[in-house]
Amino acid sequence: MAALAHSDDTPGVLDVHSLLRTIRNGLIVVVALSLIVVILTAFLRPLIASVKVDESVTTTLAQLVILVLPYIAYIAAGSAVRDQLSDHPLRAVLTALLATLVLFVVISIGHFVFHLGPFVPTSSLEMTFTEAEGGALVESLVPGGVAEEAGVQVGDLITAVRRDPVTSGTLSALIARSAEDSPFRLRIVRGGEETQLTVRTVLAGNDDLGKLLPGLVVALIVTAVAIFWPGQWTPYVILLAILLPLLIGYFWLIIATFSYRTEGLIPLDGQGNVGGWTLNNWNFLFGADISGLNVSIWQITLNSLIIAVAMMVIVLLVSSMAGYALSRMNFAGRRAFLSFTLVLHGFPAVTLLIPIFFVMSYLGKVPLVGEFIGFNKPVGISLVMVAFELPLGVWLMKGFFDNIPWDIERSALIDGASRWRTYWEILLPQIRPGILALGIFAFIGGWNAFLIPQTYSTGAGTINLPVFLRQLINETAPVNWNQVAAVGMFQLIPVFIIFIFAQEYLLNIYAGGTKGSS
Amino acid sequence: MEVKIENLKKQFGQVIGVKDLDLNVRDGEFVALLGPSGCGKTTTLLMLAGIYKPTDGTIRFGDRVVNQVQPRDRNIGMVFQSYALYPHMTVFGNISYPLKLKKVPKQEQMERVERVANTMGIGGLLDRRPGQLSGGQQQRVALGRALVKEPDILLFDEPLSNLDARLRLTMRSEIKQLQNRLGITAIYVTHDQVEAMTMADRIAVMNQGVLQAFDTPEDLYDRPKTLFVAGFVGNPPMNFADVSVMAEHGGFTARNESIRLQVPAERGQKAAAAGKVRMGIRPEDIHVVDEGDAVTAEVVIVEPLGRDAMLDVRFGSDQFLVLADPQKHIRAGDQVKLHFDMDSVQFFDLQSERSLLWN
Ligand SMILES: Nc1ncnc2c1ncn2[C@@H]1O[C@H](COP(=O)(O)OP(=O)(O)O)[C@@H](O)[C@H]1O
Ligand SMILES: [Mg+2]
Repeated sequence: MAALAHSDDTPGVLDVHSLLRTIRNGLIVVVALSLIVVILTAFLRPLIASVKVDESVTTTLAQLVILVLPYIAYIAAGSAVRDQLSDHPLRAVLTALLATLVLFVVISIGHFVFHLGPFVPTSSLEMTFTEAEGGALVESLVPGGVAEEAGVQVGDLITAVRRDPVTSGTLSALIARSAEDSPFRLRIVRGGEETQLTVRTVLAGNDDLGKLLPGLVVALIVTAVAIFWPGQWTPYVILLAILLPLLIGYFWLIIATFSYRTEGLIPLDGQGNVGGWTLNNWNFLFGADISGLNVSIWQITLNSLIIAVAMMVIVLLVSSMAGYALSRMNFAGRRAFLSFTLVLHGFPAVTLLIPIFFVMSYLGKVPLVGEFIGFNKPVGISLVMVAFELPLGVWLMKGFFDNIPWDIERSALIDGASRWRTYWEILLPQIRPGILALGIFAFIGGWNAFLIPQTYSTGAGTINLPVFLRQLINETAPVNWNQVAAVGMFQLIPVFIIFIFAQEYLLNIYAGGTKGSS
Repeated sequence: MEVKIENLKKQFGQVIGVKDLDLNVRDGEFVALLGPSGCGKTTTLLMLAGIYKPTDGTIRFGDRVVNQVQPRDRNIGMVFQSYALYPHMTVFGNISYPLKLKKVPKQEQMERVERVANTMGIGGLLDRRPGQLSGGQQQRVALGRALVKEPDILLFDEPLSNLDARLRLTMRSEIKQLQNRLGITAIYVTHDQVEAMTMADRIAVMNQGVLQAFDTPEDLYDRPKTLFVAGFVGNPPMNFADVSVMAEHGGFTARNESIRLQVPAERGQKAAAAGKVRMGIRPEDIHVVDEGDAVTAEVVIVEPLGRDAMLDVRFGSDQFLVLADPQKHIRAGDQVKLHFDMDSVQFFDLQSERSLLWN
C-alpha cells in the first residue's frame, strides 16, 4: 500500500519539489558562506587592521572560503538527493545535476559581479601572443593598453624578459604571477633588429565567459561524486589530508638519505637528471669522518645511549618513589612540595644553564665521583636532564598511585606485607604501564637531548647524536643536507622501533593506571 | 580471640571519626557494627586492623594491648567492600599471598589454598585473574584470602554491598555458617540492618562516631534503649507520636489531641511519671479494622509492597506508617479505622531520648 502510494507520487523523471529543495539547500550554503566572507573582509579585516596587526589571516581565510564555497554548495546539492538514490536513481541524479546547473549560474553571476573566481582581475600586459620560433609572437594589442602605449607592435617577437629567454607559455606564467604594476623589460626582435621595451603590468578585469566551461564540468563532477560518495570514507579522507604534510616529510627524509641530492621529492644526480641513488650518505657508519671532528660515530652513539639510559633509570627510580610518598604519605611540606614541583615543571631550562655550569664544574672536582658526574661527562649531563625531567615524572607517578585504591594496599599490609614489599609487589605491578610509558619518555628525551649536551659537552669525545647533527650544519662550508638527513635518520631508528612496540603504553600516560584491572 | 575496646577515639584533624567507644567482643562471637554511612564503622575496623592508630584508648586482643602492633602481627583477616584483590595476580596468587609472606612451605601453601578454595566453591578458578571473575566470585576469593591464614579475628567491611540482592542472601548465610563452623571471632560492618539482624549474635549500633547500643538483635528490636535505635532498627521504621501517659480508671492511657489509647499497666507505669513523652509503635503493630474502639485516620499514600500494602496515614498532626492487607484495596483518600496493639509500645524521654522502659 505504502509502496503503491509512493509510485503514484512520482509520475515523471523529475520531481519539481525535490529539485527546488535541492536548490534551496545549495543556496543556503552559498548565502551562509558568503556571509562569512563578508564578515571576514568587511568587518573583521578593518577591525584587525585598526589595531595595526597584520591582517593576512582574515584575508587568507576569506579567500579560502571563496575558493571552497562553490564546491560545498555542489556537495550540498549532491548530498540532498542521496536518500532518494535507492528508490529513483535516475531522478535523483538528474535533480542534483540540474540543481548544480542552477547553482553554478547563481555562483557565476556572483563571481562576475564581485570580480571573483574566474573573473578575478589578473595582471596583464594587455596584449595576446602565440608560440613562435625563439619566443612569443605578439598577435594583438588592446587599443590604448599598456603594451601599445609602450610601443609594442603586432608581429613583434618577444625573445626574453630581462636576460631570461621566454616562450609564450613561460611569459604567460610570468605575467600571471606578477603583482600589479611590475615592470617587464621585454627583449623584442622586430624586423631582424633587437630592441628593449619596458611594459608595466595592469590589473585587467576578466570577462571571458569561455573560462566558465571547465568550471561547469568540475561542478558537475563534484556533484556526481557527492551523490555516490561512500559516507564512511569521509573521516579518513579528512585525516589523510591533514596527515599528508607529515607523511611527505618522512618520505623526503627516506629519499634524501639514499640519493645524491633532491629537488622536492625527486632524487637527482650530479647532472640534474632523475636518479642518483647512492649509499654514500651512510658512509659515516663505516668510519668516514664527515664532521671533521675525528670521532667515531659509535662513540657518539654510545654517549647518546648513556644519557638516555641514565635518564630512564634515574627518572624511574626517583619519580616512582617520590610519587608513592606524595600519593600515600602525609608529611610536613607535602603540599608545598607538590606545588613547587608543578612550578618547576614549567620552568624554562635555558635560564638555568649558567648556574648549572658552575654546579657541574664544582662537582667535577669531587674526588672519585667527579670523574663521572662533572662537566663534559655524559653521566653528569644526564643528571642535569634528570633534574629537569623529574617534576613531570613525579607528578605522573603520583597520579598513577592515586588511582590505586587504598584498600588494596591495606589488604596487603593486613596479609602480612611490609610497607616496602607492598610498594614493590602490589603497587608497582599495577602501574606497570605508567612506568613503561614514563621510562620510554625519559629514554627518548635523553636520546634526543640537544640543548644541555650542546651546552655542557665540549670535547668531540663527549658529544651525542643531536649535537653531532648540529655540527654537520656548518655556517661557512656548504652543507651536505642528504648526509644530515642520513644522520637524522640514524638517530630516528631507535625512536621508531620504540614507538612501534610501545605505543600502547605511551597512550596510557594520558589515561593513567591499568586499564581493565580490579 | 576476645576483643576489648576501651575508650577508643579517632580524630582526623578536626573531624572526629570515632568517639569514646567501649565494646567487648567475646571469643567466637559474631558482632555487627551497624550505622548510617559516615558514622565511623570503617574507622573502627581499620583501627582493629592496625591500619589507623587510635588517637586515644586501648584495643586488646585477649590480654594483649595491640595499639602499637603492626597489622601483619595481629593475625587478622579482612574482607573489603571493594574486595581489594590484587589485579595482577591469579586467584591462587591472591589466596596464597598471606602464606607466602609467612614463608609457609610451597607444598603446604598449595594444600591450604586448595582446601580454602574448595570450601569457598572457587576451586576451579585458581588460575584466573580477578578481572575475569564475577562480583560474587571475587568476593569468595577475598574471603578465601582472609581465611587461609587461619586468623584469630575476621573483619568485614560491608562485604556484600556490591553484590546483587539474590547473591547477597546466599553469601549472607554462607558467611554466617562458615564463621559458626570455624568459631572465629568476627566483626562485621554494615549499614544494612537486615544483614546485621540475621547474621550477628550482637549488634553495635553507631551514630556519628558514638556507640548507641550494643545488644542482641531481639533486644534491639523489642527493647530499644534509645530513640535513635528505635527509629533506626526496623523497616519500615517505627512510628512516633508525642503523648502524655496518665493513670485513669485503674489503668493507663496515652493521649494527645487526636488519640487516646489504653496502655498495659506494666509499661504505662514507667511512662506515667514523665509528663509528655514520645510514644513509639511499629507499623506491624497497627491494624486496619472494620469495627471497634479505634482511631480514625485518612490515608495519604498507598505503597504496595507485595505481601503487604504500606499506608501512609494521617490523624490530627501525626503521620504514621501502617501495614495492611492488600486484599482490602485501600486507596489514597480513604478513611480507615486503626487498632493499636499496645503490648509492644515504647516510650522515650523527650530530653534524654532514652527509653523509659528499658534502662
Ligand atoms: N582518612 C581520613 N581522613 C579524614 N577523615 C576521615 C578519614 N577516614 C574517615 N574519615 C571521616 O570519619 C568519619 C567516619 O568515616 P568512616 O569510618 O569511613 O564511616 P563509615 O565507614 O561508617 O561510613 C567520616 O566523617 C569520614 O569523613
Ligand atoms: Mg565505610
